[in-house]
This record gives sequence, structure tokens and C-alpha cells, in this order.
Amino acid sequence: MAVFDDLKQAIISGNRAQAKELTKAALDEGIEAKKIVVDGVAAAMAVVGEKFRANEFFVPELLIAQRAMKEALSLMSGESVNHIGTVVIGTVKGDLHDIGKNLVAAMLEGAGFRVVDLGVDVSPEKFVETAKAESADLIAMSALLTTTMGSMKDTVATLDSEGLKGKVKVIVGGAPVTQSYAEEIKADGYAPDAASAVDKAKTLLS
Amino acid sequence: MRVNQQVNHTVQFHLLSEEQLEEVYRAALHLMEYTGLDVHNAEARALLSGVGAWVDGVRVRLPSSVVEKALGSAPRSFTVFSRESDSSKDLHIGPGRFHYGPGPTCPNFMDPRTGEVRTYTRADARAVATVCDALPNIDFVESLGTVSDVPPAVGDVHEFAEMIAHTGKPIVAWSYAMEGCRDIHRMAVAVAGGDDASVRRPNYIFYCEPLSPLVSSKEAMDKVLYCAQHRVPLIFTPCVIGGGTGPSTMAGIIAQAAAESWLGLVVSQQLSPGTPFCMGGVVSCMDMKTMTFAYGAPELSLLQAGLTELAHYVGLPLWTTGGCSDSKVVDEQAAIEGALSVLFATFSGGDLCHDLGYVESAMTGSLQQLVTMDEAIGYVKRIARGIEVNPDTLAVNVIDEVGPGGNYLTEAHTLAHFRREFWLPSLMDRQRRETWEDRGRATMGGRAQARLTELLASHEPTPLPQEATDSIERVLTAANARAEH
Repeated sequence: MAVFDDLKQAIISGNRAQAKELTKAALDEGIEAKKIVVDGVAAAMAVVGEKFRANEFFVPELLIAQRAMKEALSLMSGESVNHIGTVVIGTVKGDLHDIGKNLVAAMLEGAGFRVVDLGVDVSPEKFVETAKAESADLIAMSALLTTTMGSMKDTVATLDSEGLKGKVKVIVGGAPVTQSYAEEIKADGYAPDAASAVDKAKTLLS
Repeated sequence: MRVNQQVNHTVQFHLLSEEQLEEVYRAALHLMEYTGLDVHNAEARALLSGVGAWVDGVRVRLPSSVVEKALGSAPRSFTVFSRESDSSKDLHIGPGRFHYGPGPTCPNFMDPRTGEVRTYTRADARAVATVCDALPNIDFVESLGTVSDVPPAVGDVHEFAEMIAHTGKPIVAWSYAMEGCRDIHRMAVAVAGGDDASVRRPNYIFYCEPLSPLVSSKEAMDKVLYCAQHRVPLIFTPCVIGGGTGPSTMAGIIAQAAAESWLGLVVSQQLSPGTPFCMGGVVSCMDMKTMTFAYGAPELSLLQAGLTELAHYVGLPLWTTGGCSDSKVVDEQAAIEGALSVLFATFSGGDLCHDLGYVESAMTGSLQQLVTMDEAIGYVKRIARGIEVNPDTLAVNVIDEVGPGGNYLTEAHTLAHFRREFWLPSLMDRQRRETWEDRGRATMGGRAQARLTELLASHEPTPLPQEATDSIERVLTAANARAEH
């Protein structure tokens, strides 16, 4: 539909204000939220994905488009817009490194997850409490320091003791984290980078 | 004999003009004074407040006069002494001098025999120290891994203990937490022969890092304070990921890195004026496709050169980076990326160039890459040495004697000069094809591997005196006991 061409362009070029404005205009005209999402927002993100694959867009353009998408979607939450799932994400206790975690959070949002970002230095208790309060489907933990990785094991244990193991999935990542470590601590998944983190999250929740 | 003559003794390399360096310097000071940095350490904040910084919660802003005072007190030159009486292994850091070594803390290690990528063990720390001790162009030692076959909390201490026993070249140490920092210092002091000896003739350098952008953690500041207190030469080195944890423009990355590093400078100099301090660090771009921190990028060479010039401009030595690669294997990519960054580190005179032997964007440490880089250093050093112009090297009389159509091979002049003028490769191959085929068609990779195997089998580092060994053993026992609890 031509009416979505401008909205799509606004999202693709990362124009947050315009994306919001055009979404509001469409809703005011009586167009169904679901239709806006599918034919406008999702269609725009498909183009963004294509451009990324073709090396026309890189990570900054991807993130900026996702931010505009988020603005558009914010007008429609509460309507019939489905999130794939809710993720609680953070860097573990004792660790302040967050650039990787921020990328994963942004990518997860872009893929349609609702993301609750707890920031850095997050204790196992905080991860689990927040997951309960937000009815999260997934806890995602990041660590850069080998000395802080152990906190991931504690989070899994806390989840288990609250009877949530299996109901809330756990995915881990960060430079020193490996597939075998994830298995050792009985996490549900591991991903080596942000893009595969999104794939893994989708798989775990499917 | 000449008069009123100036010569270029070596290659001259200049990236930024004085005016440009002054501008970058001013930008770094501006960041420190008006944006400030988050310092998550109450003792450090109190110290900074005492010296005139404005403190709001964890945010510290330093007036430029405070920074300039610290820059004035840190030495431009200092020496780190070998534990051996062989003074050729001493590290003299100062204008015009440059040194090379590997890097620390890679999660994985390339097996020195098989090339397989695996976890790193205590035995590997011994192997890395031994190889570094043997390689002619490696001047200081780091582990190329993270020890995994000891209790995790004391991996750092075991690594240092293994390395110091197997090399006379100074170690650049790091630690997880303060306990390790103290244990390493105890071991180094034991080897030096006491606290006083250690202060007057330091035998190791300690390395720690701020967090980009513009953050210093509690642990990092604790280490800076400890090193200043004990006058341990200190490296405070940022790792700015351009486009991710720093701006995407080169000049801004350098200014931010400088601001981060100089926070450590001010703290160390305030506590203990004159403590040797190396600015750092490891600066490159984020690859915007893969989100990898690009150790092999041309931007690394460019940024390191700019950072080096800024360091020297303000009178500090620089802990720089080179000899590293994003390649997963030691292949042509690793060779290009490693050799080019070694070249630029050398030309810019970055005082201590580390991370030689890093592959896979620092995820894997490789002695094969280190050995290859040792050869690259030899190659680069010959170029850096430049061209000497004098009557003997112009050789006009010799050319005249040999005359048109003659040859030089048996000339006394050739015999007198060729060994010094022409670099003799150890690993690069220049044989004729037939000879090369007859001798097994070895590739550079194969030759580097053979060299590595031979060094590991044959090199015997000078052992520590028994007294030092016993002291180190006691420190390890205490550390292990601590780890059990």
C-alpha cells in the first residue's frame, strides 16, 4: 500500500520522529494496528535485513532503523501487536562491560522481543526477581571477565530453586563464555555474537 | 670531516604535526575537565578531590592544571631490569627506543605442536616464556593465554610464577583482583632481592585497564594505587572500540583514550610522584559487519601511531599494539596484518609494542604467529635503521676501482660491509626453486613451526636461584590455600 511507503522509508532511514508521526496518522485514519505492523513496520525491517546482508547497511544503520521501528511500535503496544517473547538481559555481577550486551539487546528488540535491560553488575537475585516480575521467557547474561562468569551459574541455580527452570530459559554469552561452559552450568543456550543470539533466542522460545 | 651537518640517523616518520598534537592534547584535557570520568573507587576519588578535582558522586572532573602537573612528574624514561646478570635483557624505555612482546589473557591457545586451538594450561605459560626468552627480537614477556588447569581465582599467580622461572626478560604482569596483584608483587620482590631492590631496580611492569568510555572500575583503581604505593612501573591502558565504546573518528578515539589513561596517571603520580607510568593502549575500530574489535585493521596501525605521537608529545612512554590479526589461522592475512602493525609501531617508536602473537581478534594466542612476527621485526628493524651516508658508504673510490663492467663480490669493501648492510633472514626463503623443492618445499608456516619446535626443544632459560624458587613456592601455596576457601 502506498500509504505505508513513507512509513517504511522513515523506518529504513532511521527517522524516529517521522516514523512515529506516520504511524499515528495511520492509526487516526482507522487503519488496523496489525496491518501497520505487517505491511509497514515488518516490511521495512525486511528491507533493512536485506540491505544488511548485501553489505549496504551495517550495524549502525541496523540499530538506527530498529530504534525508529521501536518508536512506531510504541504507539501500538497494547493493541494487537505480538511480541515474540520477553527477555531480561544484563551484564553479570562484578562486571561493567556492556557494549556487547547492548548490541544483543538492540538486536533482540529489532527482532520483535520485549527487552528489559538491567544494565551492568546485575546479581543473580536481580535477574530472577525481574524475570518473575516481568513474566519473562528468557534471561540473557553477558560477561567479559572470567572471574565474573561464575555468577551465571548462580543465576541458573537461583532460577532452579524458585522452580522456574525450564519455564524461564537462560542464554549466555561474552568473550570468555563457550558452548561447553554453557552446558556445564546447565544454561539453555549460548551464542558467540549478537546476530546468532537472536537466532538462538527464537529457537529456544519456539 | 664535515661541519654544520644534520643527518637522519634512522627512518623518520611523522603522522601528526605539532599543532595537530596540541589540538588533540587540548581535546583530551577538555574531556577530563568538562565531561569527566566515572571513578568507582572511594579512595581514588578522595585522592583526586584532594588534588583539586571536582567530584560529584562517582563523576570526577579534573582541571587541566591537575593533569599537566601529573604529566610533568611522570618520567619519560626508565629501566626495568632483567633478573639475570645479562644486562642485554634489561628494558631501557626512553626516546627513540622500542621493544616488542606478546599479549596476555587470550581465552584460547594454538597448540605449539599441532596448531589445534584449545584451552591454555600452566605448561603453556612455561612454553611461552621459554620461547620469548629465546627469540632475538622479543624483549618482554606476556602469557598469550589464561591458565585454566589451576583454581580459576589464582590462574594469574600461577602464570607469573611459571613465566618468571623460565625467562630472564622482564614480564608485564596483570591480575584478576588485588590478591593476585599482591602475590605477583611478592614473587617479583623475592626475585629482586627485597623491597628496596625492587623499588630502585624494578624487575617487572604491571598492567591494568580503564573501561571505555571514560570509566575506571574499583579494582582497576585499587591496582593503580597499589602499584604507585610500591613504585611498580605501571601501564594504564584503554581499549577503545571505535564506533562502539568510542567515537568513530580517529582523532576523537585518541583524545578519549588519552583522557582514560591519564586518569590513572594523575592518581599514580599524586600518590607517588615519579612512579614510572606508561600511557596506553589498544585502539581500533569495531568491524561494523561482524561487531568484532578489529585487531588486524589498518585503523589500528594509524591510531596506535597517533597515540604514540601524543604520548611522546606530552612526555610519556606508550604501551602500544601490533603483530596481531583477526585471522583464525596463521595464514597470509595474519602475516599481512601482523607485519604491517609491527612496521607502524616501529616507525612511530611506540615504546613497548605488545600483542604480538594474537590471532582471532585476541581470542587465541599463537606461538606460531609470534615466531613469524619475530622474523617480521628483524625485517622491519633493518628498514628502520635507515641509510648511512658518508664517504665509505658512498663508496665512490670502490666504484671507481671496480670500474664499468666489473663486479664487487670479492672486493674488500663488500666483505667489510655486507653483513651489516644486508639483513640476513632466519625464516624468509630465497632459494632457487630446484633447491627449495629438493629440500622439501617448506612454506613460511612450515618453517615457523619448525623453528618453534626447535626452540621449545633446545632453549634452556637461566634458572632462578633456589632462594627465589622457594619464596615463589610459598606464595603459591598460600594462594592455593586461599583459593580453596
